[in-house]
Amino acid sequence: SCPSALGAPVASSVRFLIKGSVAGGAVYLVYDQELLGPSEKSQAVLQKAEEVVPPAMYQFSQYVCEQTGLKMPQLPAPPKFNFHIRDTWNSGIITVMSALSVAPSKACEYSKEGWEYLKERTK
Amino acid sequence: MSDSELGRKWDRCMADAVVKIGTGFGLGLVFSLTFFKRRMWPLAFGSGMGLGMAYSNCQHDFQAPYLLHGKYVKEQEQ
Repeated sequence: SCPSALGAPVASSVRFLIKGSVAGGAVYLVYDQELLGPSEKSQAVLQKAEEVVPPAMYQFSQYVCEQTGLKMPQLPAPPKFNFHIRDTWNSGIITVMSALSVAPSKACEYSKEGWEYLKERTK
Repeated sequence: MSDSELGRKWDRCMADAVVKIGTGFGLGLVFSLTFFKRRMWPLAFGSGMGLGMAYSNCQHDFQAPYLLHGKYVKEQEQ
């Protein structure tokens, strides 16, 4: 009975220590990388992550393939889009807004022309 | 503020928002799993805090050109 009486508090304190160290490690990581700091730092962290993550994922998948013996299907390279979303969005917005701004005058003009045309036809 | 500068500020804001919300969510997840018995509220709390911090940063960034940052200079005693 003695070991089991000691076992439960020790196990719970060990569990608490493990949880505390995991949580403390996460908080320290956030503090160290200044993830909750000024926006320039966050932008730099995001750029670094964009550079680091794809090769790391590729290496991890290679490692998994080697360990498990599975062969990853060779996916074809993703097609390179020469499509700038931001530029097309901006130019689209500008086009729509300029069209809306000239719409009343254009409508007047077209209706006048249509009216002239009808008058010509009915003469 | 020129267009390119405005665009850069918006880019910074978006990147900052993504990082802060993700960090808040991650921290909330860690705390939810370790101390709070897998409840949902730490995740919501963390994400909300991250969103608030990102919004505050963006606000300061956009208001920066109009704020005059003064500093006190001690008078040199003759």
